[in-house]
Order: sequence, then structure tokens, then C-alpha cells
Amino acid sequence: MSTATSQPRSASAPTRSSQPGTEPGDKKAAVRARSRWASPALVWGTVIVSFFVLLALLAPVFTLITGNDPYQEHRELLGPSSVPTGFGGGISAQHWFGVTPLRGVDVFSIVSYGAQVSLGIGLASTVISTILGLAIGLLAGYFPGVVDALLSRTMDVFFGFPFLIFAIALSAVVPSSFPRPLLLILVLGFFGWPGTARLMRAQTLTLRERDYTTAALVMGASPWHILRYEILPGLLPLLIVRTTLAIPGRIGSEAALSFLGVGINPPTPSWGRAISDAVNWALVDPMYLIFPGMALFLVTFGFNLLGDGLSDALDPRKGEKA
Amino acid sequence: MKKKSLALTAVAALTTLSLALAGCGSSATGLGGANASNGSNTQAAPTKGGTLTVLTSGTSINLDPASSQNLATTTGGMIHRRLNEWKVSKNGDAELVPDLATNTGKPSENGKVWTFTLKKGLKFSNGQPITSKDVKWGLERSFADTFSGGLSYHKQLLEGAQDYHGPFEGQELNSIETPDDQTIVFHLNQSFGEFDWVASLISFSPVPYGEGKNKDYGTTPVTTGPYEVKSNVPGRELVMVRNKYWDASTDSVRKAYPDSIVYKMSQDSSVAAQQIMAGSGDGKTSMLGDLVPPAQLAQAQANPAQKALLATSGDGALEYLAINNERVKDKRVREAILYATDREAYRTAAGGEIAGGYASTLITPGISGREQYDLYKPGKTGDVKKAKALLAQAGNPKLNLTLVATSSQTEKASAIQTALKRAGITVTIKTLDSTVYSDTVRNAGDFDLAISSWQPDFPSPYANIAPLFDSSQIGNGNMNESHYNNPEVDKLIAQATGTVDKAKALKLWAEVDKRIMEDVPVVPLIYSHNTFLRGSKVANFMIGTFPAYPDYLVVGLSK
Amino acid sequence: MSTFASSPLARTLWYILKRAVQALVVIILIAVALFLVFYMLPANPAQLSCGKPCTPEQLQRVSAFMGTDQPWYAQLGAYMLGIFAGRTFGTGASAVVCSAPCLGYSFRLSTPVTTLIAQRFPVTASIAIGAAVLWMLVGVSTGVLAAVKRGTWVDRLLNALSSIGISSPSYLIGLLAIIVFAIELPLFPSSGYVAFSTNPLEWLQHMLLPWLVLALLNAAGYTRITRAQMVTELEQDYIRTARSKGVPERRIIGVHALRNALLPVMTLFGLDLGALLGGAVLTEKVFSMQGLGMLLLDSVTNLDLQVLVGSTLFAAALVIIANLIVDICYSLLDPRVTLGH
Repeated sequence: MSTATSQPRSASAPTRSSQPGTEPGDKKAAVRARSRWASPALVWGTVIVSFFVLLALLAPVFTLITGNDPYQEHRELLGPSSVPTGFGGGISAQHWFGVTPLRGVDVFSIVSYGAQVSLGIGLASTVISTILGLAIGLLAGYFPGVVDALLSRTMDVFFGFPFLIFAIALSAVVPSSFPRPLLLILVLGFFGWPGTARLMRAQTLTLRERDYTTAALVMGASPWHILRYEILPGLLPLLIVRTTLAIPGRIGSEAALSFLGVGINPPTPSWGRAISDAVNWALVDPMYLIFPGMALFLVTFGFNLLGDGLSDALDPRKGEKA
Repeated sequence: MKKKSLALTAVAALTTLSLALAGCGSSATGLGGANASNGSNTQAAPTKGGTLTVLTSGTSINLDPASSQNLATTTGGMIHRRLNEWKVSKNGDAELVPDLATNTGKPSENGKVWTFTLKKGLKFSNGQPITSKDVKWGLERSFADTFSGGLSYHKQLLEGAQDYHGPFEGQELNSIETPDDQTIVFHLNQSFGEFDWVASLISFSPVPYGEGKNKDYGTTPVTTGPYEVKSNVPGRELVMVRNKYWDASTDSVRKAYPDSIVYKMSQDSSVAAQQIMAGSGDGKTSMLGDLVPPAQLAQAQANPAQKALLATSGDGALEYLAINNERVKDKRVREAILYATDREAYRTAAGGEIAGGYASTLITPGISGREQYDLYKPGKTGDVKKAKALLAQAGNPKLNLTLVATSSQTEKASAIQTALKRAGITVTIKTLDSTVYSDTVRNAGDFDLAISSWQPDFPSPYANIAPLFDSSQIGNGNMNESHYNNPEVDKLIAQATGTVDKAKALKLWAEVDKRIMEDVPVVPLIYSHNTFLRGSKVANFMIGTFPAYPDYLVVGLSK
Repeated sequence: MSTFASSPLARTLWYILKRAVQALVVIILIAVALFLVFYMLPANPAQLSCGKPCTPEQLQRVSAFMGTDQPWYAQLGAYMLGIFAGRTFGTGASAVVCSAPCLGYSFRLSTPVTTLIAQRFPVTASIAIGAAVLWMLVGVSTGVLAAVKRGTWVDRLLNALSSIGISSPSYLIGLLAIIVFAIELPLFPSSGYVAFSTNPLEWLQHMLLPWLVLALLNAAGYTRITRAQMVTELEQDYIRTARSKGVPERRIIGVHALRNALLPVMTLFGLDLGALLGGAVLTEKVFSMQGLGMLLLDSVTNLDLQVLVGSTLFAAALVIIANLIVDICYSLLDPRVTLGH
């Protein structure tokens, strides 16, 4: 094999998934399992993520309540230098998060409709990168030699490639009739797989050496059978954790691309674009930065908690020990 | 990978933004104080001495007269003297005065031949005397492929210049004659009444004969102005110190108050503005090389002490909505777009009532010969009824127009989108990276609408109109972004250009202005006001009617 | 042959050679991809050097001079050749010569790319190494602390803090830090870089804030992985044996467990440091420091293809080398790992 044995890599790759600390003492496994599924991280992660999912889904309902949408201008709420008048950037009963400088668009609408964009793109692109990463990781891990070397070098190319350049070029080349959200999903998905693949490869390498795999091999099982029934189930817990932890990264990348101006086109609201606008106004109208910034932070935080909680609950090593 | 790309993208956005703010000829986000002055009223008197700091978001400063596009009254003006120079005054138009020359140039043969005489006793920063050969050599250098990229008006005017590839292989450009060390004669391929203005551009600065072979000459060039370059490190700083061979008595424009000037490059404009307003570090003796970012501007206006540090230009660059005339061919539709546009909403999105004055003409205020007119009178917020009526006349075409914008223009673009929707015109905004944006608008033409802005390179109607509306300026990265092509207008432009009698020429230009607007190739939006910032000890910091930038040549420090 | 190949030193050398060849292939692939993408981009770099106003003839002349009128594979070929043989742009006395190893020439900055990299690398290295040392110290010590005190409020607090650290967008934190610590309370200079050789004290002053921001956010990940590894190690048999033998707890944690726990932490550290040395883009931008990251970014904004390719290749090489060093260190530190198999 071209890289050092898999063990260290498998430990280093999932930087965010902490291995669980087993409770000291001799509690029963069932109790332990239940408490794992009720850990604060898992509970709070679920609460925060659900909150944003609801916010995204209910965005049109909020529009009915407040009468605001993320397109309408409220110039009457701006002072002579185009800064919102009133407390906290124009916070009022009608505009819960105030309005933006320059055009007076309702910030709450931007955050709620922006959640649709952020979550939608984050989830969809993660699905793509997970499928790619799993497939490539499995192949590389199971077929050492040429296949592995080829796939591993491909990963290296992706790691070393300036993604930004590609994103800029693509946004310019693809005609404007092509739906931008779909483009972002594809780009983020296509560039997001190497991390997952590396992890899956390492884990596959470990599982390959396991007794039950060797046993299946001796009994003449086809590679497909072994991959499907012996290795894949062993990968699932790690994959779920990795996927949960990858989502916030994608959401952040979407925000960053919109921030750069090659993400979602206006007038479709986007957290990233709101943040990039708001950074300039931070000292004058801090609330404009705080609301979308907090939304981005909280969603990331929520998914990270969820991932940690899942990792504790699903930890594959524990399954082995039991 | 993931982490890195995120960082990369986020950061690129900041760069694009600050570049847009830095503005270069075409200012993007000009904003001004409601009653903000154009400077120097409340400032203490400047004294000789001290170190002036300029904070800029720019990452490199090219000082090569051949490839620099510097304005005559900013950085390049402090180190490079040229045949003519601009004398900026607070009130009144910029005046053309002789600099190296004894007068602003004598036209003959109906403006096809121009003769300049150099002052005697002038010296380079290396002590060598300045002769007409050095001026000629400087111009010839600009034709070498190695040194392209500068202000190239002379390249289209000098006879026989098309096939000339620079002096480094021993060829001379015969249309520049130097009968003696003091005299220089230019032979043009057409009558050109404003060659005296062209001779005030940085390309007309001398380079010692035979020198400047290396591509990096522009890092620390030999200078002629009151300063020479001590060091120039891209991304870090440029340090200018006094040039002992400069003689103040030969220079009617440059005041040269500070002993040295330090440019700090790669600054974040918001942070730099903050530093200057707070007076921390060198803030008190610094000025901001970029436009004041909108937020810092709003902040400064709320604080009287900081407001006094602002200087706002009068009506400056023309900001306009370019309509791609090759794609939107029906004049009635273009007129409908003009009526549907809400200029008040646009100005609000540009920073409020202080972002600029409403525009109706193509020649901008501050240019002599401009005549104020308003052909359509759409009012501040537009006239939706008229727009709809015009569209009905045009057969109610189903309009779905693509508006291309850079990431820093999204608010303005959204304002246009909302306004046109009122008349039933659907606008799709496509945001692009700034370099791709330039290519789309100035080359490929794959767009319907674009927001743009233009400040001429020298204060004349020619530099105002011809680059934007002459059909020869379509594509190749040139500024005729509306792809406007009208042979009649081309002819009028040629006629006005060739008129040497200034008064007559100006009259012609005013006619051209109106004639173009009859076709509505663009929708004039506002004349932007640029606002700049100085530290509390920076004196004589003022902006004239043209250009809409502070006059660096006269800035000094107070005690 | 067989005796030679089986000696550990020879195996290591053979392994390094193999990896180096693979690295070269990766680097070439990255270069090919960059040229392809750039060619796809609808913008001509020569445009930026054409001058104002620009005629079609002039544009053609500039394109030919810069070589951007060639198809992408020809540009790529010329570039690759230049690395070994050097390049000359234009002819005659004013020709631009870029001597081998020519990683490209920036027409915008009138400087060879190798010179640019040499100028910028100390800036990035100052940021990266300083911050890395700091986050390693903070991350490992908090990780050990959390592991030893696991289940207590200390553990939970550290866990919460590291969750927050991981979830914070660093560009916002960086800007906030500047506003608070450099502008409102001017404790640090807001931006810029002073070379260590010019003035070590000022160098330190300028570095502190970026180090702190970068280190505190990055430390979060290290806290977690260290904690996880320590918890695992502390449950191993050898620790129990040591405890039963009466080895002091301090020694068990500080020496036995930590040494083994640090292996994967070192892996991550090597990779992170390698990536950061190739350009700390975000930190450089926020703190206005002109390192390799900003060079890369400017090259994108200004369509400076050769700088883009040159600095990307340099960064990619650093990552690959870091990877290699990590793998080799492994084999030296951990007897269970062998190279090449």
C-alpha cells in the first residue's frame, strides 16, 4: 500500500467526531445505550436543526403573518444615508429583525427564506458527496494496488485543487438559464467527496482484515457480496456521523460562494450574501450582521452537536466490544 | 479542502469588494455627505515637512509612465512631470497648465501638428538634464510589447504608430521630432483639437534616453517631480522621499509639503477608514486612497468631528444603466426602460440622497462646454404609465432581460429589477466575478443590461463621449458597453474631435450629447459623488470639480 | 537485491522515491486542470495589459507577447518546459527573461513567480508556524484535561467551547477581533506585517492577534481529538498494568498515555500545517498580510494565470510533502506501522 497503514488515518480523518468517553462504572449496556441516545448533544442538536427546518418550511407562513417577503423594499424606513432608522436596525412589530440598509428589505424574511436555500443546498450536495465518497472509498479500500493508487491520487488532486477558481469559471461558463441552486448543489457535491472517501477507504481497509470478512472470502463470496453484506454495514455508523458533520461544511461553503457573488443570484435571499453585505455595515447597523451570522453559526453548531451525539450513540467500536 | 475553499471564497469576496471601492476611473460606490464640503474649509494650514501616509487597498503600485493609468493629480503626478499638467481649484473647472513645457502646446496644420518647447534647466532625479529626446524616448517605450497597458490615447493619434514596436531594436517613431533639446513636435494622423490635454497624461512623462529596458522599471523609476522613489514593495509599501533636483520655481502646480510620503498597500478599506477616523496609529497623518466604504461614511456623518474629516466631490462620474443595443433594438423599448427606471430607488441603494445628483446628460458636470438638458423628464421615480404606453406601441414584447452585475452591485441591481418590474419588464440578475463581468460587458456582449460608471481620463467632452459611444470602441475591452453603433454619431464625434477652435468644438460636443440621448442607448442614473477621508492633521485636502479625487499634489500636514 | 530491499533504510528510501514520483504526477495533473479551467474562463488576461483605449491590433500584440493567444495545451507545455529550461517573453533588448526554474512570470507585478513566492513565504510561515504551535499547545492541554476530568463540568465546558469554536466562521471572528482589540481598544496594530529581520518586536506585535484568532478556533478540533484519543488510551491494558505497578498518575497520563494518543494528533497537525503553509488565505486577508494566500487570491482577481499556477503548485507540493513526512514519522514512532505495505 502506498500510504501508511489505515489505523492512524481513520483516527485522524474524522476530526470532529470525538470518540465517546465511556462512563466509568459497571452500568448495564442497555442503560448505557439509552443514555447515549438521550445525550444533551443529541437532544440540543436535534432541537436546533429542527428549529431551522421549521423556519425554512414555515417561511411563507411568516410572510402571511407579517406581510413581508424578501423582495419588497421599505425605503420609508431608511434615513437620509440609507441606514435604517429606529432601534436595532429598524426592529419593530412588523420587522422582527429590522430591515437592511440601502433598500430596506425585511431581515427576518431574508433569514427564513435564506434557510430554505442554505438547508436545501447543504443537504442535497451532501447527499451527492456522500454517495460519491462512499463508492470511491469502498473501491479504493477493497481493491488495493492499482485501483487504490489511482483513486487515492485522484483524491490528492482534488485536495490540492483551488476550488474557488473552478467555481468562478463555472458560474461564468454555465448559461444563466441553468438553475443556479442546482449548479451549486452539483459543484459542492462534486468537490466534497474526497474527505468522505478517504475516511471510508481507511475504514474499509480495517474491516477487510476482520475475521468475518476473511471467513466470507474463504467461503467463496463474491467481492460484491462482501462489500454489500460484510463491509457496508460496518461503515454505516461512521458514514452517518460523517454525513451529519459534512452538512454544516456545505452550508458554510454555499454561504461563502454567495458571499463571493458566484452563489445564489439575487433577488433570491441567501445568508452568505446577507453576511457579506452586512460585514461592511457591522459598526453602523450591527443587527444586520448578527441575525444572519447567528443563523449560520447556529445551524453549523446544531449539526455539529447532532453529529457528535450520533457519533457517541452509534460508535462502531462499542458495537464490537459488546 | 472544505475548510480551505471556504476561507478562499469568503476572502475573495472581500477583495472584489475593496477593488470595486478602490475605483479606477470608473467609480462604483460613490457616496457623499448631504452638505459635506469638498474639503479644506475647516482644515488648518499646511506646513512643510512630516510624513504623509496613504492607506490603500491596492496591492501593487506601478509607476512606469508607459504602463501606468494613473490620474494626473494623484500618485503618478507627484513623481512624474509631463508636458502639461492639471491645475485643480476648489471651485471652477480643472485648468490645463504647462508643466515641463513653456506653454500648453501650439497646434498647426489644422491641429494635425503640435509643437511643445521644454523649460530650460530641468533635471531628472539622477541629476541628468531633461531634454526633448527623453520625452520622445518615454513615449516610444510605451509601444514596446513589454510595456503595454497604460493610457494609450497617443497610440491611436501618432502617425505611423500602428506598425511601431518600440525603440529597443533601434527603430525610431518618426512622427515625433526633436529638432533640438528643447523642442518636440508631434505629427498626428488626424486633426485633434484636444492633444494638449492628451499631453497631460502620464505617458508624456520623460524617461532618460536609453533607459528603462527592464520590465520592472516601474517599481523604482527615475523621476522628475518633487519626490523620488526610495522603495516600492508590492503588497507592503511605497516610500517616496524628496527629489533634490526638482526646482519649485519651475513648477506651478505641485506644492510638495510633506518630506516623505508612504503608501501602505493591501489595507482593508473599512479598517483603514476606522483607523483614520479614530486617529489611532498614524491615523492622524494618513489619508484614505480608496473611497470611504458606505458604512464608515454613514458612521462618520453621525459624528461632527469625523464628518469634518470627509471631503465629498461634486457631481462626478456618470453612473448609467447600459442597454445592449445589439439585443434591445427597439428604441421604444429602450425609452420604456428609461421611464420605468426609479432613480430615487437606485440612489437609495447607492447610499442615499448624498450618493450623487440625478443625471440626464452624458457629458458630466465639471467638463467645460457641458449643456444641461433633460430630454425625457421621467422624474425621480420614473413614469410607469409612459413606460407601459411605449411598450404597448412596441407591440407589448415579452421582455425578460438579463442584468449582469458584480457582487458589489447586487443592491443597485435589485433596485433596478424592482423598478422595471413595475412596467412589466422582467429582469434576471446574473452576478459575476469582476473580471468575468468586464469581459461579458466589454467583449462578449452576452447581456441585456449592466450598471456602469465612467469618469473621463482627462476633462474634455471627447474623453467623456467618444470612449462610451463611438462604434470603434465596441468590444476588445473598450467602454462602449451599450454596443451603440450609429454612423451619424460617429461622424459627428469625428467632426467635433477634429475641431481645433475650442469654443466651436464644445458647441459640437453638446450637440453630440443630445443626439446620442435621442437614441436612448443608456439610461443616465446619477452623477456620483465620491467621498474621501483624511486624518485630522492632513491639510489642504480638497476635491475640485474634476477629477472627483483629492488633489494629491497640494496635500500637506498641519502642525 | 533482496537483502538490500529488506533493510529498513532501503525500504524507507524506496518508499519515499515512490511517493515522490506519485506526487509529481499529482502536481502535473493539478497544473493541467488549472490550465483547462482557465482556458474555459471567458476572459482574456491580455485585456488587462492592453491599455486604455485598446485596439484589436494592440490586444493581439499583447496576447502574442504573453502567450495567451495559444491553445491551452501549448500554454501548458510552454509553462512546464519553463520550469526546467526557463522562458523568454518577447524579443530583443526589452525581452523578459525568466530563468529556470521558472514557475511563471507575473506581467502585472513585473516579477518572476519564484521571487514572489520567496517574498511571500516568510509572511505565511510566520502566521502558520506561530499559530500552529499555539493551537497545538492549547488543543492538546485542554484535550488531556477534558479526558482526565471526563464527565465533570470541566469536560462539559471544554466540550461546549470546542463546539462553539468549530462552528464559528473565522472571517467574522477575525474582523470582530480587529474591531475590538485593534480599533476600539488599540492593544495591537490592526494589520500589516513587519519582517522579523527588520524588527523582531514589531513582528511579534503584528503576529499576536492573527495567531490568537487562528489558534483558538483551530484548537477546538485538537481538543476533541486529543480528548478522544486519551480516553481510549487510558482504558488500555498497559495503563492498567502501569497503575497496578504503582506508577504515579501524572506519569501515566503525561508520558504513557499521551505519547500514544499524540500519534493521530500529529498526523492532523502535519496535514493542517502543510495546508496552512501553502497560504493562510483568510487570516492574511483579514489582517492585511501579503502572504502566499493573498498572492493566490490576487492572481484570481487579476487573471494572473502564471502566478495562480505557480503558487498553487507550490502549495500542493507543501501539502504532499507534509503528508509524506507524517507517514514517515509514523513508521519511526510507531513500531506497529510499516511503510510500503
